[in-house]
Amino acid sequence: MDRKGIQQIVYQISTVTVLAIIVGTAASLAAIGFVDAVHYLNDRLLISPYARVLAEDRPGFVAVATLLVPAAGGLVVGLIVHFLVREKRGLAPPDAILAAQTSGPAPGFGSGLASTLAALISLGSGASVGQYGPLVYLGAMFGNLAGRLRLNLRHQRSIAIACGVAAAISTAFNAPIAGLVFAHEVILRHYSLRAFAPVTVAAATGYIIANVIFDRPALFLVSFDRVEHSYEFVFFALEGVLCAGLAWVFMVLLKVSANVARRHIALPWARPAIAGLTVGLVALWIPEVLGIGQETLRFATIEGAFGIGELGLIIVAKLVLTALCVGFGFVGGVFSPALLIGILFGAFYGLVLPYVAPVPHSGLVVYAICGMMALASSVIGAPLTTILIVFELTRSYDLTIAAMVSVVFANLISYRVIGRSLFDLQLRARGFDLSLGRDKAILETHRIRDYLSSVFTTASDQDTVGTVRQRLVDDHRSEAMVLNRKGKLLGVVRLQGIVNSNAETPVMDAAIRSFTTFGEDTSVWQSMEMLRGFLGEAVPLVDRSGRLMGVVPEEAVIRAYLEIVHDLREEENEAA
Amino acid sequence: MKQRSPAVFQWLVIVVLMFPAASQAQSGSQEPEVLTVVTWGGAYEDSQRRAYFEPFTEATGIDIETVHYDGGVKVLREHLASGDVEWDVIDMIQSDASAACEEGLLDTIDSTILAPAPDGTPAREDFMEGAIHRCFITQIVFSTVIAFDDRAFPGVKPDSVEDFFNLEAFPGKRALRKSPVGLFEWALLSLSVPREQLYDLLSTRRGLELASRRLDDIRDAIIWWTRGDEPVELLTSGQATMATGYNGRFFHARAMEGAPLSVIWDGQLIGFNSWTILRGTSQADLAADFIAFATRAENMAAQANLISYGPARKSAQRRVGLHTDAGVPMRPYMPTAPSHMDSAVIRDHHWYSQTVELREQWFREWLER
Repeated sequence: MDRKGIQQIVYQISTVTVLAIIVGTAASLAAIGFVDAVHYLNDRLLISPYARVLAEDRPGFVAVATLLVPAAGGLVVGLIVHFLVREKRGLAPPDAILAAQTSGPAPGFGSGLASTLAALISLGSGASVGQYGPLVYLGAMFGNLAGRLRLNLRHQRSIAIACGVAAAISTAFNAPIAGLVFAHEVILRHYSLRAFAPVTVAAATGYIIANVIFDRPALFLVSFDRVEHSYEFVFFALEGVLCAGLAWVFMVLLKVSANVARRHIALPWARPAIAGLTVGLVALWIPEVLGIGQETLRFATIEGAFGIGELGLIIVAKLVLTALCVGFGFVGGVFSPALLIGILFGAFYGLVLPYVAPVPHSGLVVYAICGMMALASSVIGAPLTTILIVFELTRSYDLTIAAMVSVVFANLISYRVIGRSLFDLQLRARGFDLSLGRDKAILETHRIRDYLSSVFTTASDQDTVGTVRQRLVDDHRSEAMVLNRKGKLLGVVRLQGIVNSNAETPVMDAAIRSFTTFGEDTSVWQSMEMLRGFLGEAVPLVDRSGRLMGVVPEEAVIRAYLEIVHDLREEENEAA
Repeated sequence: MKQRSPAVFQWLVIVVLMFPAASQAQSGSQEPEVLTVVTWGGAYEDSQRRAYFEPFTEATGIDIETVHYDGGVKVLREHLASGDVEWDVIDMIQSDASAACEEGLLDTIDSTILAPAPDGTPAREDFMEGAIHRCFITQIVFSTVIAFDDRAFPGVKPDSVEDFFNLEAFPGKRALRKSPVGLFEWALLSLSVPREQLYDLLSTRRGLELASRRLDDIRDAIIWWTRGDEPVELLTSGQATMATGYNGRFFHARAMEGAPLSVIWDGQLIGFNSWTILRGTSQADLAADFIAFATRAENMAAQANLISYGPARKSAQRRVGLHTDAGVPMRPYMPTAPSHMDSAVIRDHHWYSQTVELREQWFREWLER
């Protein structure tokens, strides 16, 4: 290798490493700050049980706070989102995925900050939403910022975004391997060494900051010895299947809730306040629905903490209120609620199981954890990540294997019924369909217009066949576009159709009226689909009023496809 | 002459002997010479007597009287309500001190009275974090631990909080302090709740209910105690096989008196004792002088060499060595010994001071149900 090549490689590796450390540090510190700020607000606003019990001597005050804090929080969130976020909605992991996958414009830093603030207030005031979605976006935001630096690195933006996300997850869960895998599984959707190396560095940075510098406690701590009976794996698999069903219910509720909000509440900024008020009302009766529910999560793994009926009630309340809060525009994720609902459902399953199958089993903990991970993995479409979270948090091999079985069965079903994840569903609604893989989704984002050719033969609708025939022979083409005076495309004349026609015939009599055209917005993917059975030389591309803008030769479509797919394959197979 | 001289001599002796006493009595009528310290009795008070009270009297000529105290804020309220304030200095549990301070029952203490460490380190850096407060000066780290009668379990010995609740494997009565302190922490610990989350869970109805149900498991086996020296008695007399109590008392019984008991450090509940001055005492300055004296590094170390409570200042911790009488090395018996800290629960004194009502109500209800 020559000297310049070596210099280039040294530059690449060192720049990308420094970039990963910087993005990782920023995302990790931001994540810690975010989580601490949520705790602070929860304590101040009487959302956390600890704060509520300290105000025990003033029960009226606590009740009023319960009722008003989420509603007031909702109002503030509604106003922030409506007036400060350009997209007029909370920014979330789908935005991170889109920014990493495509080269289009990503939401601005200002919008990102406003959205993060809205998420902070949502979580701080006890809305039933999750914290990991906003954290992922926070990481992506720093990545996006770093992606704009002129460092001359290939795929700089997507790698930097993945770094930010990996560090945020690594910090939040205290689970660097899960952070690393999450960034690949959900954000990048491929595993090239070029991305893998810096993302690992960022995840490790997040872990070091969370653990060594700040010494944060683990998200959940359980003790579990081992799965006692081999037949229990059948129960784990069945639990996974049931969780997929629950995930489906969750998604349906989310959709219904969003539709109800759109249809019945005209003012978008008022919607979260209404959801907040509902949360407050329910919380007077079931305080477990407030906020992230760290304590409830913990109780779910303790035998005897809940009765079966109580569990059922809390599961339903949490499901409905989470759908309500997210659908009505509180800013926050669905992962933590899914973890909570999942662990409660797992505990429920573990309690009911002895009645259904009266054989000995290994206790509540393993079923609770299985439920938690099965439901959450179906919702966010990250089976590997969730399995690794269990492993990294519990360091229990048995627990991980049990969870793995549930997670896989849940995903097998939910993938068919719902799709890969909620994120992919949301992206599909925005026209970015990842359900058939990256190729299709990326090909959909490129317009065939970019491959337009202005070299073609035209004919006027007043021309005769003879004139057009002569023009085609002169131009060495077999197709002419017939336009009216205003440039509107009326038809296509093919040489083979007019070889023996009378020279005096008006050209319009010989023109083909029904033919394939591309529009301004036709994507590369659509153009490939439209070319099925196409026999001509080039496809005319018309604007919305039907005027001809140019033609796209068949060769250009193939070229576009090859270029894009080649780029993707290169990205996926790049070494560091 | 020979017969009279002894009489004169006797007179002389009497006069000479009487004079200083008379002068002391005179000055005593102008300035009180007795400081009343409210503290916990038993081996603990003995250690304070030897390390603080006697040296203080020696240095200043002021006697110290003690009044027995078993913790809580209520007795302070009652004493103040009686109108006749006799207590000066109180040795309180930090959470009680904090609650009493908020209620306005305590005088403020000027932290500049605290002597720097012998090497010159300012007191603020030498004391543990949070030890210096406007109402109290935290002096020792004590721990409430579970101990068991070694004779009761000749085979496998209990070694965890869970074993305390396991009447099948470790039968016998359980001695517990009759107070809503520590009970619920141990109840949840025995259900393997991580100690980081104890107080968050105990802040919920569900957490307290869970603790109640756990305590129901041993309800019939409980013997209640109130005075700090009772657990040792209950164990040595064979009335109880396991007991909770202050680590220093168990140490004293084991190391000094050879009582056949062992301490389980799992789930030890770390607390802090603090010196406070009762509001309304006429001897606030003297009380402050005493606190300044008792918190000097060498005096704190002297106490730690008598009973296994950890001093709250670093310079004193470094001076802890062998027991003054028995010659036993004291450091392994300190609650703060690194091997004991792995499973220690640091009592959340903020939570404690804010939940007095709640805890008492919960305890009453549990006792009645």
